[in-house]
Amino acid sequence: MTEPLLAVDDLRVAFAGDDGRTTLAVDGVGFALQRGRTLGIVGESGCGKSVTSLSIMGLLPKQSARVSGSVMFEGTDLLRAADRTLRDLRGDRLAMIFQEPMTSLNPSYTVGDQIAEAVIRHRGASPREARAHAIEMLRHVRIPSPEQRVDDYPHHLSGGMRQRAMIAMALACDPQLLIADEPTTALDVTIQAQILDLMRRLRAETGTAIILITHDLGVVAELCDDIVVMYAGQVVERAPVAALFAQPQHPYTVGLLGSIPRLDQRRDRLAAIDGTVPNMTAPPPGCRFARRCPFADERCRREAPPPVEVAAGHMSRCWRAPLEHLVQ
Amino acid sequence: MLPFLGRRLLQLIPTLFFVSVIIFGLQQLLPGDPALIMAGEDRDPEVIAQIRAQYRLDQPIPVQYVYWMKGVLSGDLGESMRIKKPVLDLVLEKLPVTAQLAGMAILIALVIGVGAGIVSAVYKDTWLDYGANIFALWGISTPNFWLGILLIFLFSVQLGWLPASGYVRPSEDLRASLASTIMPAFVLGNAIAAVLMRHTRGAMLQVLSSDYVRTARAKGLLERSVVLKHAMRNALTPVITLGALELGTLLSGAVLTEQIFTVPGFGKLIVDAVFNRDYAVVQGVVLVTATAYITLNLLADIAYMLANPRLRS
Repeated sequence: MTEPLLAVDDLRVAFAGDDGRTTLAVDGVGFALQRGRTLGIVGESGCGKSVTSLSIMGLLPKQSARVSGSVMFEGTDLLRAADRTLRDLRGDRLAMIFQEPMTSLNPSYTVGDQIAEAVIRHRGASPREARAHAIEMLRHVRIPSPEQRVDDYPHHLSGGMRQRAMIAMALACDPQLLIADEPTTALDVTIQAQILDLMRRLRAETGTAIILITHDLGVVAELCDDIVVMYAGQVVERAPVAALFAQPQHPYTVGLLGSIPRLDQRRDRLAAIDGTVPNMTAPPPGCRFARRCPFADERCRREAPPPVEVAAGHMSRCWRAPLEHLVQ
Repeated sequence: MLPFLGRRLLQLIPTLFFVSVIIFGLQQLLPGDPALIMAGEDRDPEVIAQIRAQYRLDQPIPVQYVYWMKGVLSGDLGESMRIKKPVLDLVLEKLPVTAQLAGMAILIALVIGVGAGIVSAVYKDTWLDYGANIFALWGISTPNFWLGILLIFLFSVQLGWLPASGYVRPSEDLRASLASTIMPAFVLGNAIAAVLMRHTRGAMLQVLSSDYVRTARAKGLLERSVVLKHAMRNALTPVITLGALELGTLLSGAVLTEQIFTVPGFGKLIVDAVFNRDYAVVQGVVLVTATAYITLNLLADIAYMLANPRLRS
């Protein structure tokens, strides 16, 4: 296998609270991403998926976040890189789009200005060249009449258009890796489909590797090659998309899949996972999912399960994996 | 933009009308009779009657108001009963002094206040932040007269760098003019700087944690442009309004500070006029400062709109 574009190893992020307690947001996360591939990171709110992506970008607040482990990107360890190196990479080789297109654009500058800015910063373009490039990027993300839209302020654009403008901004310098943090969550369903479609086409055109962070398994199934499922700061399962959907090997993933509404099966109620996520200022001993897991036994509650390779390229952090024999 | 401006300018008319009515009405509530004061020791009834007739004090108040308003609209603010000079001349004489003092004070306040506010927000919870906050607390809680006296003691008496009192016009000698106004301007600006600093700090902290600042950082922008371009523009709009209102207050004269530094501005003029029941002067000065205040308010709104594209369309 070739050298991965991005290799995250044993990433840990702890936040120091005002009351002196620390919260472990990310605990030993590891995954790798090959060039041009798309990785989905799935999990519920607070599982550490956004914190993982922000620590890759180096955007966590330095005063409160303690980050350890390693994040190798094209031969550079992003966690140990100087601020200057990170700033040079961000927006150029590494780009990110966020959940809220409404608040992620600066209301005081035109979208053209905000796209051009990155081009001027990283490509040393003149303002005129950068503006031309901004128009080109708006056309690229299928914004109609980009020559006029380039001078629009964010409040002139609809949510979907703003997310397109964000994508144009992120892709302006042709990055190797695009991190999309819940890019469709704040949008209407029809607009969601358009944005996903756009991302799929752009990926085919540019070959950019994508990390897609979402809580929506449907989105993952449409767009991703591989999936990482996170729970309470840990990766609980990692597999190629087809394998994960066909044979989930962690009870949490099984629960997530069960909670997707389906048209081909009649059910009165959607399956839900009972209970709530553990308090991460004092994580429980043993498996973090044990209290909500229908299969948990004594050992699950006592000892933390190590990651196990249940099949080639399929990892699960469960004492009871493979799960097939349990559901018979 | 233009319809907005037109609407705002139209709104000025009723506002100014009510202001003039209030000024005129309050004036009548002041105890004491100007005719008696002017008549002097003898209080000759004939003289008093003549004065009353001359200044139309024998007419009903609404009639007096109409006469006054007629004069105001034709640029005549009346005549000072005490110094027998047109009020307009008195105002034009003192206004540049007060305007210079107010301008310098607000400049000092903006430079110190906004600067310290930005620094303390960017370096939150460091000694720079603590230092700026201590400075702000000191600025808010230091009485003007005390700071003024202290400055005179240090820079005039001990060091001999600046004149302790008096005023020189900038047209006569710019350096001497700045030297004569820098201390009172600093005293006035210092208190406002503290207020501006607190507001700037709060607004900057909020903006610095906003999503679009994170986007700016994700683009790899230098921290300088993140703070000065993306954060400051949005954080400073409320500060513009506050600064304009503070400037309006400064233009109405700073009685205490002008007194300490013996600067001949509006403050001294109006206090003297009130004590001497010099109605015309009080009315004239208050009308001018109220108009200035309202105009500044309008200018602040326009500036606010220019800085905020969401309000423009």
